[in-house]
Amino acid sequence: MKEELFISGRNIPNVDPYLNIWHWQIPIYLYLGGLAAGIMFFAGYFTIMRKEKDMETTVKWAPFLVPGALVVGLFALFLDLKHQLYFWRLYTTIRLESPMSWGAWTLMLVTPLSFIWVASYMKELFPKWDWKFNILNKAEALAIKYRKSMAWAMMLLAVVLGVYTGILLSAFNARPLWNTSVLGILFLTSGLSTGLAASMWMSKSKYERKVLSRLDLIMIGIELFLIIHMLMGFLAASEVQIEAAHLFLGGEFTVVFWVFVIILGLVFPATLEVLELKGFHIPVWIPALLILIGGLVFRFVMVEAGQITRFLY
Amino acid sequence: MGPLIPQEIITGQWDFVIALLIGGAFGFILEASGFSSSRNIAGVFYGYNFVVLRVFFTAMIVAMVGLLYFSYFGWIDLDLVFVLPTYLNSMLFGGFLMGLGFVIGGFCPGTSYTAVAIGKIDGIVFATGFLIGVFLFAEGFPFYEDFYTANDLGNITIGEMFGISNEWIAFLFVVVAIVAFYVTWLIEKRVRKNMTEYKFE
Amino acid sequence: MDTKIVKKQQPKYINPYFGGILLGLLLLAAFFIAGRGLSASGAVKLLVVTVVDKVAPAHAEGNAYYSKFIPADGSSPLYNWLIFGAIGTFFGGMLSGAIFGRLKKLRVEHSPKISARTRLIAAGAGGILFGIGSQFGRGCSSGAALSGTASLSFGGLIVMALMFGIGYVFAWFFRKLWI
Repeated sequence: MKEELFISGRNIPNVDPYLNIWHWQIPIYLYLGGLAAGIMFFAGYFTIMRKEKDMETTVKWAPFLVPGALVVGLFALFLDLKHQLYFWRLYTTIRLESPMSWGAWTLMLVTPLSFIWVASYMKELFPKWDWKFNILNKAEALAIKYRKSMAWAMMLLAVVLGVYTGILLSAFNARPLWNTSVLGILFLTSGLSTGLAASMWMSKSKYERKVLSRLDLIMIGIELFLIIHMLMGFLAASEVQIEAAHLFLGGEFTVVFWVFVIILGLVFPATLEVLELKGFHIPVWIPALLILIGGLVFRFVMVEAGQITRFLY
Repeated sequence: MGPLIPQEIITGQWDFVIALLIGGAFGFILEASGFSSSRNIAGVFYGYNFVVLRVFFTAMIVAMVGLLYFSYFGWIDLDLVFVLPTYLNSMLFGGFLMGLGFVIGGFCPGTSYTAVAIGKIDGIVFATGFLIGVFLFAEGFPFYEDFYTANDLGNITIGEMFGISNEWIAFLFVVVAIVAFYVTWLIEKRVRKNMTEYKFE
Repeated sequence: MDTKIVKKQQPKYINPYFGGILLGLLLLAAFFIAGRGLSASGAVKLLVVTVVDKVAPAHAEGNAYYSKFIPADGSSPLYNWLIFGAIGTFFGGMLSGAIFGRLKKLRVEHSPKISARTRLIAAGAGGILFGIGSQFGRGCSSGAALSGTASLSFGGLIVMALMFGIGYVFAWFFRKLWI
């Protein structure tokens, strides 16, 4: 049993000594943001590479998930706000030093862009679709004409979105577990990996699945590398960071982290994907589902564990 | 030196991660040996596939002899190793029910997990039935609570029960195992003469 | 050995003695690391306890069997070596099935002489019997019989002897299910 005696006046409920203000809404939002970023990035990438014909699901079908994911994620974020009626104020200013401002504006751009992307492919996938208004037909033609520019914009904004989900946490320099610059790239990679898993699951073409699963293996490899180096970085830093790392190395989050995020969420699906590439037949939904769940659990673990770490005593 | 976790050499929550890995190896070995198919398992009762006996007996004697060797070298402290307690009446009854369940269902819980993992619906049904069975037992527990704990002989070993040293028991097991392997090999050959298919997926 | 040419390809299994040695070594490792053997039935028991505790906590507290497994500090009963062992068994089996090509669509495996429905009823009945029996026996075939006898427990020996003995006694009555 751990007893802590407060002798100083430092006992602000929900903030000191343990931050306890971010609950399930934030991990859900981070996860959906990463997933959307992953899907959009590869949709844009394969369009620019002129591979739309080979990678149909990634470019055309998977982005259907993005508007929904972003709306649900933003709604979760909205639920988390304290002064919900004033959310619009985020959009009255651009503050380059604030990750939240970056995120708000990126989402402001990305959400309509994803809607337009999906809309531009509607007629191709649902031949009987009719916009009913002439202006919408003209808009659709415009969108199709500028698909390549949209693809570039989507790719770049997706990277910003993915990185921002991590930078949002790492901007909290009072939380030792979060205050690492690795988190931005790590969440981006995790988001790309979940996006690939979602596209892979939806895909019907063997060639596409092969390409996506190769990319996914690279992403998982990078993710494992980053996680290991993040932990090593913590262990080589100051005492609070060492304590933070120990939450994952024997502390209360060890099991959830290693079992559900690393082994079942990364290593085991990667093994299955390698087997699939070597010719063994694996039903594609197994590694895809495991990666998707692993990403979600990872966000939850990071948000919860981070709020426990602190600099004081 | 061992066992490691009860002596806190491995601390914290790592033991659950290790449990996952050991379980993973367990499931892998079971499935790779053919235990994910109920028809393979039931073969031990009808003589066409003795994989259950071979794997079980071999594992048992390897682990038994291994434990004794480890203890002899001082690598493990046998007092800290969990020995299943003996409740005579309850275990006799339990073994009876399990035997019936084994021959009817063709699975045991561990193998049913591997069967579920490879997509066998009868494995899923067995596992669900198992869940229901445990639930039924627990619900009716007040009725047979006394029977459950009757005749508690404690954590005694076979050696203590019969007054023979553990090493002799292990030796006896090895001898029995070798005899059993030979006899079952003969039986299997005879039974398989009349069958075309005896190893199932 | 067998010279009959079977139409289907023979399923790929490892040599049973080899598998037994591996299993024995694994059991030894489990004893060395954790001081206990493997068991699959314990995980289901904890799952039942958790569900009942969630749905009807008062009933769970009152029942002498459930209350034994509900930890006093309020953490979930699922926080246990056995649960993670069971999860691992599931995924380990999946990996092996993937490597040996047995990971296919959902199917019922039954003798051609009976219907799938019969097999499922038998599996369900067998499961229920095994469930009740495993609680009386303090373990299942891996927990009581295998690990118990390996650690030279007398109870383990009884359970194993009875399980297989009774199986042989009743095998003749249920032969229609299998051969």
